Parts: sequence; structure tokens; C-alpha cells
Amino acid sequence: MYEETIRLPADATEEEVLKTVDGLNKDPKISGILVQLPLPDHISVDRVIGYISPEKDVDGFHPVNLGKLLRGEPCPLPCTPHGVKQLLVRSGNDPAGKHVVVCGRSNIVGKPLAAILMQKAEGANAVVTVVHTGAKDISYYTKQADILVAAMGRPNAITADMVNEGTVVIDVGVNRVPDSSKKSGFRLAGDVDYEPVAEKASYITPVPGGVGPMTVTMLLYNTVEAAIWLNQG
Amino acid sequence: MPANLIKGDEVAESVRTEIVKELGRIYDETGLVPGLAVVLVGQNPASLSYVINKEKQSKKLGFYSEVRRLPEDISQDDLLEVIEELNEDEKIHGFMVQLPLPEHLDERAILTAIDPEKDIDGTHPINMGKLFSDEKGFIACTAHSILHMIEHTKQPVYGKSAVLIGRSNIVGKPLALILLRRNASVTLCHSKTVGLADICREADILVAAAGSTGLVKGDWVKPGAIVIDVGVTQVGDRLVGDVDFDQAKEVASWISPVPGGVGPITITMLMWNALEAFKYKLEI
Repeated sequence: MYEETIRLPADATEEEVLKTVDGLNKDPKISGILVQLPLPDHISVDRVIGYISPEKDVDGFHPVNLGKLLRGEPCPLPCTPHGVKQLLVRSGNDPAGKHVVVCGRSNIVGKPLAAILMQKAEGANAVVTVVHTGAKDISYYTKQADILVAAMGRPNAITADMVNEGTVVIDVGVNRVPDSSKKSGFRLAGDVDYEPVAEKASYITPVPGGVGPMTVTMLLYNTVEAAIWLNQG
Repeated sequence: MPANLIKGDEVAESVRTEIVKELGRIYDETGLVPGLAVVLVGQNPASLSYVINKEKQSKKLGFYSEVRRLPEDISQDDLLEVIEELNEDEKIHGFMVQLPLPEHLDERAILTAIDPEKDIDGTHPINMGKLFSDEKGFIACTAHSILHMIEHTKQPVYGKSAVLIGRSNIVGKPLALILLRRNASVTLCHSKTVGLADICREADILVAAAGSTGLVKGDWVKPGAIVIDVGVTQVGDRLVGDVDFDQAKEVASWISPVPGGVGPITITMLMWNALEAFKYKLEI
């Protein structure tokens, strides 16, 4: 796969970012464009994402692609939720008919994952609950889950007492936790208190090494799909 | 104690009062009036009666109103041309295509051809996609009506558990994202969900939009819940909802009847969206 990385300085203007995106939209060598988030405060994320050609939007965050996703129409699926779906299906835990509880309602994981898994479609068709910090008692919901997805961005937020025996646990969290034994001074931890939860779960993903590698892979998958689509057009 | 009724007419009337006030204020400032159009293909009697109602209500509220009546056998290209005309028409700030369309027409292609800034039905993918973020866009009229009904009860939504039965593009899916934005926990299920009764029993806000008569029994309702019945099924000569109303009203704190619940509000929300489109165009 041909790849270009375009680095813009933190003080680049919105105009400059839009111009860069425009150049990539028109570049026939490029099938997929990803704008790495977060962006500096002076640049509107909505504006920049909305400027990417929907056909090349391999992150799947352009509103027209999110709208198609919600409507159940063909579109590039956002990479992390798409990776979660693939992890479930390919580990023999098809979500059809299962109760999936998604903790966290971010625009990049929680909401699109819910939208993917509740569709009347293969590898989906689940009952989906989205729960977040607004809820009084998150464990009330997590204990009902056949499949529990932790995507809150808080280390060890899901503890063993919140999980029923036999639950499938997917940990999307990637948090830096201070650790003086490491050279970098920190280690990566998920949203799940891994060891005790692993004792009760039927399946569990580790952090690192769980969802992370899937996200990158789904980006490449979306790029291949986009290339096929663009060549047909 | 039986539940309070959420009366569609009352909710619609309070929205209409706001619309009239806004139209008056904008007219006084600018001398301009918003324009709304409905495209009707063929002679489907139910569609015809909807369209007549929309036209009547929009004129009454002070909109400029047009109905484009097109023959049943219109070609895809000719219909797309009408949509292009309306997209360009400066008198028209918002319009919708009445569904269902005759089978030879590609509904998805037609709805996607509508300028998203004039898509007052809120079904263009861009407007549905904007529901994921906090970007402003149009909300599908039925989902928007339900939100108004919930707000009408003056009960808090924050931290409550909402259960939505039915995952249609105009109710369940958009409403799930809207209620998440209002800080409810949201469960989306459907009429065939295993254990549906138990899931419903946990709902502080229960929205039934499955199109399955009498699906929700009284003992599926959590005491004190808000129950919104979106189901409308013709049974003999009457309309029947998804909720067993007589049982549920003894348990719920608020409940909407069928008919007389969601139905009367949806047309008003179309007018509301047309007003929003107008304000967006005027940049006010």
C-alpha cells in the first residue's frame, strides 16, 4: 500500500488544514484520508472532517457516512467499533440476540459501536444499551451484559464485582498509568481491572494487544474498500 | 392513581404558539416569510390526506406553502429534476417528499438528492450523521415529537434509563442518539428481543414503536415510568397502539394515548424544521 504522512505544525490555520485535505481529495494516488484527532482548539473538527471526500473517509466519521451507518446503508465503518465487531464475530461470539452493554458514549467508539451492533444485519442484531457517567449505578447495567464493552477512558473502571460469570469483555480503554518501574514512567492500562475480571469472563481482551491492533487493521481494510470503490467509479 | 395523559394536541399547540411568535418576530424585522413545499407522487389516499393537512397547517401558521402533485408514473429523472428545482428555489426554505413512493422509483437516491439544508424531514444521511456529534442538523419529525412529549412531562431525563422498542430510521435510531445526548442511558431493542418484558420493566422512559398491537402489557411497565406509544395500527375502523393502554395507565406516571398522542405533533415538527431552515438561511 502506498502511504503518505503529512505533518502540519500545531499552529497551522484551519484554512491550511482544509487546503491539505482538498489536495488529498483530488490526489488520484490516495484512496483513503485520515485526519489524526484531536486537533488543536482553534481548528473545527466538524469542519475538517466534513471536508474530507466521503469516498475517501476511511475513518468513517464524515457525517454522511455516519448517517448511512445509522440508516444501515453500505459505508466505511469507524475503525475501532468495526474492530470490536470483528473481534466478537471471529472469536465465535456473534452478537446476534445478545445483550451488549457499551460503557461510554464517545463519538468515536460508544455511539458508532451501538449503531453498528443494533442494526438488523449479519454480525449485529444485538440488544444494545449505552451507559455512561450520567447513570447513577453503572454496575446495574454491566451485570445484565452478555457482552460488555468498556470504552470510558478511565483505568480500572470495570471491576470484578460489576461483571457476571461468563460475560464476554472487550476493553477499548487505553490509559497511561504512572509506573516508576518503567523507563517511560508509565504503563498502558485498559478500562477493565484485568486479572480479577478475567477470572469471571468467558472471553476478555488484554490491553495492550486487544482492540488496538484491530483498529489499525480496519483502517487498512477500509482503505482497500475505498480503492476498489474509487476504481469502479 | 392513573397516569397523567400526554396529549398530542396540547404539545403541538404549545409548539405552534412558539412558531407563530417566531414567524411574527422575523417578519417584523425582515419582511420575509418562510416557504415550505411537499412533493406528492401519485394518489395514495393516506398520503393525500397527510399532504392536505400539512398544507392547511402551514398556511394557517403563516408559511408560504406549495404542493407539487406529480403523476404516479413520473420517471426517476423527472422527479430528480423537481427536487433540483426545489433545491434552487429561493422561496422554498424546506421541503419533503411524501413517502411511500411508487415502486419504480429509487427512494434512497431521491431522498439523498434533497439539499441537506432543506431536508426538513431529517432523513438525509448527513442530518442523521450529525446526530452523532453536537452539530446542528434536522431531526426526524417523529423522533423530535417524542422528545417534545418527554419534555412536556417536565420530568428529568438526566441519568434515567430509556428503553426504545423498534429500530426504525425515523424513531428508534435517531431517538437513541438524541436521548444519549440528554444523558439518559439508552437501550435499543425490538419486538423479537428475547427477554423484552424484563428489559422494559427497567425503563424510566419507555418508547414503544414496534407496530405490534398490545405488545406492551401493564406489568411490563415500571411504576412511575413515562410511556410513549408510537405504534399506530389500523384494526377494523380504529387505530391501536403498541401499549395496552388501560393496564399501563394504572402503573405509569405519564402515558400518551393512541390516537391523540404522537400523531398530531409530527406535522407541527415539520413546520418547526421549516422555521429552523429559514432561520439558518437568514443566519439568525
